[in-house]
Amino acid sequence: MGELKTVFWLTLKEKRDVALAVVFGFLAGLAGVALLGASGYLISKAALTAQMTTLVVMAASLKLFGFASAITRYAERLFSHRATFTMLGHLRSNFFERLAPLAPNIFQRHQSGDLLSRIVGDVESLQNFLLRVLYPPIVVGMVLVATVFFTSFYSLPMALAIFVGAILVVVVLPAFFALRRRKKTHATGQTRGAFSAQSAEFLYGFKDLKIHLALDQKSAELQESAQRYEQAQQNEGLEENRVQSLNALVAFLASFFVLATGAYFVSIGELPGLYLAMLVMVSLGAFENVGPLAALPAYYEESRIAARRLEEVVDEQPDPSTGDMPEGPVDIEVERLSYRYPNDGRLALDEITFQLPQGSKTAIVGPSGSGKSTLLQLLLKTAEPEKGSIRFGSEALSGMAQENVWQRMNVVLQENHFFSGTIESNLRIANGQADAGQLREALELVQLGHLELAAPVYEKGRNLSGGEKQRLAMARAFLKGEQLWLLDEPFSSVDGVTAQSIYNELFSRHPQDTFVIISHDLSRLEDMDRILVLEDGRLIEQGTYQELMDRRGYFHGLKKIEEEVFA
Amino acid sequence: MGSLKQMAYSQNNRIRLLFLASLAKGLAMIGQALFFVWVADEVFLKDAAFGEVMPLLAALLGVILLRAGASYAIGRLGVTLSVEARRRLRRELIAAYKDNPLQGSIAGQSGRKVGLLLEAVDGTDGYFSKYIPQMIQSYTIPLMLLGVIFYLNWTTGLIILITAPFIPLFMAIVGKRTKQKADEKVEQLAGFSGAFLDVLQGLTTLRLFGQAKRQSDTIRDNSLKFRDSTMEVLKSAFLSSLTLEYISMLSIGIIALEIGLRLVVFDSITFFPAFLVMLLVPDFFNLLKEFGSAFHTARGSAASAELLTEELAKSHQPVVWGETPVHAPVELSLEQASFQYGEGFQLEPASFKLEAGTSTALVGVSGSGKSTLLNVMAGLLPATSGRLLINGIPQEQVSEDEWFGQLSYITQDPYLFAGTIKENIILGTGRVVALQELMAAAQKAGILELVESLPGGFDTMIGEAGRGLSGGEKQRLVLARAFIKKPALLFFDEPTAGLDLHTEQVLQQAIEELSKEATVVTIAHRLHTIRNASRIIVLDGGRVEAIGTHEELMGSFSPYRSMIEAQQGGTQAWVN
Repeated sequence: MGELKTVFWLTLKEKRDVALAVVFGFLAGLAGVALLGASGYLISKAALTAQMTTLVVMAASLKLFGFASAITRYAERLFSHRATFTMLGHLRSNFFERLAPLAPNIFQRHQSGDLLSRIVGDVESLQNFLLRVLYPPIVVGMVLVATVFFTSFYSLPMALAIFVGAILVVVVLPAFFALRRRKKTHATGQTRGAFSAQSAEFLYGFKDLKIHLALDQKSAELQESAQRYEQAQQNEGLEENRVQSLNALVAFLASFFVLATGAYFVSIGELPGLYLAMLVMVSLGAFENVGPLAALPAYYEESRIAARRLEEVVDEQPDPSTGDMPEGPVDIEVERLSYRYPNDGRLALDEITFQLPQGSKTAIVGPSGSGKSTLLQLLLKTAEPEKGSIRFGSEALSGMAQENVWQRMNVVLQENHFFSGTIESNLRIANGQADAGQLREALELVQLGHLELAAPVYEKGRNLSGGEKQRLAMARAFLKGEQLWLLDEPFSSVDGVTAQSIYNELFSRHPQDTFVIISHDLSRLEDMDRILVLEDGRLIEQGTYQELMDRRGYFHGLKKIEEEVFA
Repeated sequence: MGSLKQMAYSQNNRIRLLFLASLAKGLAMIGQALFFVWVADEVFLKDAAFGEVMPLLAALLGVILLRAGASYAIGRLGVTLSVEARRRLRRELIAAYKDNPLQGSIAGQSGRKVGLLLEAVDGTDGYFSKYIPQMIQSYTIPLMLLGVIFYLNWTTGLIILITAPFIPLFMAIVGKRTKQKADEKVEQLAGFSGAFLDVLQGLTTLRLFGQAKRQSDTIRDNSLKFRDSTMEVLKSAFLSSLTLEYISMLSIGIIALEIGLRLVVFDSITFFPAFLVMLLVPDFFNLLKEFGSAFHTARGSAASAELLTEELAKSHQPVVWGETPVHAPVELSLEQASFQYGEGFQLEPASFKLEAGTSTALVGVSGSGKSTLLNVMAGLLPATSGRLLINGIPQEQVSEDEWFGQLSYITQDPYLFAGTIKENIILGTGRVVALQELMAAAQKAGILELVESLPGGFDTMIGEAGRGLSGGEKQRLVLARAFIKKPALLFFDEPTAGLDLHTEQVLQQAIEELSKEATVVTIAHRLHTIRNASRIIVLDGGRVEAIGTHEELMGSFSPYRSMIEAQQGGTQAWVN
C-alpha cells in the first residue's frame, strides 16, 4: 500500500464526492436488497392471505425500491467518477511539480523514449484506483453489514452465515489473490517486453537478418517469444477467471447456508416460515454486488505498479544548489573536465581544459560520438562532471542553481520542443513581455518573415520542417536577449547560405556577446575566434581556422574528407 | 468483425463446449431457483420436517456447484479461445512480414508493425474472451428460461415476449447516440492525454525558459475542465443505463402485478410456480443487459480487427528462388529489370553487366533510386519486369541460401542485435568461429582495440539494453562481420557525414581489401570512391542516365561533369 500513498491522499482530498459516492453506493445496494427482500416477503404473504392490500403494497414497494435502486446507482456513478477525474487532475499537477526540477537529467538517464508516454498511461490507469480498488469493498462491506444487522433481528444463525460469507468475499479472497498475484513475478509484463523487443529486432533488422541467412532462426525465436507472452497472458486470464468463479461460488454458498439454516429453524418452529423466503432473498440481494470484487486483485496490482513506477521516476532529490551566475558578461573556464555516462566503462570526456573569454566566438567540432554534446550538457549543468570544474566568471557552476544559469543564457538544443498552439505562443515562451513588433523582428532575423504570428503549430511542431523548427528555436533564443549563447548544431537542417546569413546578422548585431556553437559541419568556421576539436572525448586541437589548417592535423583531415563527400 | 467471428468459429471444439457449458449453466440457474423455491414451499407451506428437505438441499448444493463449474468453464474457454485466436493472428502476421520483400526497404513502417503485433492483436481480446461467450450464453440461456416460464405461467411468458424486445430496441437507439458521444470523448481524452504528454515532452524547453512553474496550475485547470466536459457525457451514458434499468424494472413490475392478481384475487396460481417465476424473470432481464455491455466490448475490438485484416490483405510478391548453387566469383547482369511499388517510386528498366571482381559506383541525388536499384540487384526486391542474371543464371533458379551466403551489404546505419559483440559479428555463419579468426576479423575492421578495452571483451552485451555504440563503431563491427563472411559480392552504402578519421581510414582500407576478392557495388558519396570505380552508373529520377568510367563520363556526359565540378569548386586546393 506504501506505493499508493500519494494517490490515496490525493483521492481523499475530494472528501465530499467520495463520501457522497459511498453513501449513494450504499443506498443503491440497500435498495436492491430491499427490493428482493420485499418481493420474497410479499409473495409469501400473498400465499397465505387474500387481501388486496398485500397486492397493492407489493406492487408499490417493488416500484419504490426498484426506482430508488436505479436512481441511487446513477448518483453513485456520477460522484465516484467526478472524484476520480478530480483526483487525476491533482495527480497530474502533483507529478508534474515533482518531475519538473529533475528534467532534463531524468530523460537522459531513462533512455527509453517511451518514458513519457508510459507516465501518461500510468496516470491514466490510476483512475481505476478509486473506482475499482478503494471503494467497492467499502460499499459492498457496508451493504453486507447492514444485511447482517437486519437478518439478526430474525435469526442469529442466518446472520452468522451471511457474516462469514461477507468476510470471505470482501476480505479473505481479495487479499489472498492479491498476495498471490504479487508473488508470481509479473510474467506478463516481462514476456511482453521481451516480445516487443524481439519484434523490433525482427522488423528493424530485417535486411541484415535476410542477408546473413538468420531470418528463419530469428522468426522462429520470435514465434517462441510470442508463445511465451501468450502463455503468460493465458495464465493471467485463467487466474482472473478463477478469482471470479470462486467469488461467485462463495456468494452462492453463503446464501445456500442461509437457506439451509433458515429451513432448519422454520422446521423446528423457531422462525416463522413467512420470513424464510424474505431472508434468503435478502442474502441473495446482498451478495449480488460482489462481482466487482473479483476484479479487485488485478486492479490493485495494476494501480500499485503504476503508482510505483511514477514514484520511481520522481524519487530523487533535485539539485540543491541555489547560487546565481555573476552579473554581466563572464569568461568561461573549463578545467580538467571528465565525464562518464552511467554504466559505461570509458570516459565520454577526458580531462578537457580550455578558456573562453567574454565576447569570444567559439566552435566545438568533432565526429559524432566525440563528446561535443556531452560537453554542452556539462556547461548547462544538466549533467554533473565526474572530475574537474567549470567556472562562469569568478563562480563555480557547481554551486549555481540550474534555473539561475539558464536564465542568463540563450540556448538552442539539437531537439527543441514546440507546443501545440501558434507561432506566437511558442515564441512567447522565451519572452512574455515582447510586443508583436519584437516577435516579428525575431522571425525576420531567422528569415521566417513569411510566417504569420497566428499560424498554428501542431504538437511537437510536426507541421514545421526541420529547418523551420531550428530557425524558430533560434528566434526564441534571440527574443530571450541574454549575452551568452550556447547553440548545439542549430542549423544542421538549414541550407548553408541561409545559415551563413543568419550567423552574420547575429554576430553583427551582438558583437559583445559570447557564442559557443557546436557543429559537425566544418564549413563557415573562418569567422570564429577559436575552434575546439574533440575526438573520442579528448580535446585534441584548438586554434583559429587558419592555424588548424596550417597545422595539417586532425581538423585538416576531417575537412579534407568533408570536401570529398557529395551531400 | 466478420473475420473475427470466423476466427472464433474455426475453433469449433471450443465453441461446441461453450454451448454445452451454457446449457449446463442455464439448467443450473433453473435448478437453483427450483430447489430454493421447493425447500421454501416444503418448510413454509407444507410444514415438512428438516429431514425431508435434506435431499432437496443436497440437490440445491449440487446445482450451485454445477452453476459455478459451468461459469468457470465458460470463463476458461473464453480465455483459451482468445489466446489461441491471437496466437494464430500473430503467427500469420509474422509469416506475412517474413515473406514480404518490401519489409527490408520500407523500414519506416517498422514501428507501426510492432504496434500491430502487440496492441492490435491484443485489442481483439475483448471480442474472443468476452463477447463470444456472452453471445453464446445469450443464444441459449434466455430461451431456456423463457421455456420454463411459459411452462409455469404462459401469461408471464407472453408479457416477456411483448416487453423484452424494448430492451435491445432501446439499446440500439440510445446506445448508438451515447456511443457516438463516448467515441468523441475518447478522442478528446486521447487529445487531452496528448496535451499532458506535450507538456512533459517540452519540459526541458519550459525549464530552459523558466516557464515550468506556471505550467503546473495550467495542468490542474485543464484537468478539471476536461473532467467537467467528460462528466456531461458520462451523465448521459449513465442516464441511458438508468432508463434501461427502468424498462426492465417496469416489465418485472407488470409481471409481479399479474402474478399477484392471480395469486391473491383469482387464486389461479400457487405459491410454488408464482415464486419460481418471480425468481426467473429478473435473471432473464439481467442476461439481456449483460449482452448489451458485451456488445460494447466487441465494438472496441472492431477497430483492431480492421487494422489487422487490412494488413493481412496486403498482397506482396515474394522473391522466388531456385536450387542452383552460386560459385565465386560472381558476375551480375540486369536485363531490362524494373521495379515499381504501388503508386509510389518507380525504377525504370535498366540493363547492364557487372563483371566478376569489378567495382561499380552508383551516383545520384537522394531519391534518384540508388537504394532501390541496389536492393533489386541484391535479390531483396523482386524485379517487376525483366531479369537479374547471376553468373548467367536467372535469379529465380538460384538457391537463396547460396546467394545470400555470398553477399555482404553494409548500410549507413546498420542494425545491431541484442546480444554479445561476438554474436553480432558471427551472425548467420552457422558454424563455430575460432577466437583467432574472430580476432583477425576484428583487427582488420579496426575494432579489436576497442573490444579488448572492454571488461567483457567479445562477450560484452550490445544492442538494446546493452552498451551503446557510436556510428563509427557500428560501421566497424559490421565490417568485421563481412571479414568473417568473406563475400563474393559486396554492397556498400557510403556514410555521408559524422565519421571519425580512424573509421574513415579503416573503411577505406577494408573496402579495398574486401574488393580484392569480391564484386563490389557502392552507393558512392566520395570523389575518391567514384574515381576509383571501374564503372560508374549515374541515376536520376529512377532512370539510369549514363554508365561509364570517370574519364568517359567527364568527357561525354555533361551533367556528370558539372556535378563533379560543382563539388570541386572552391575546394580545388584539397583534392588530389
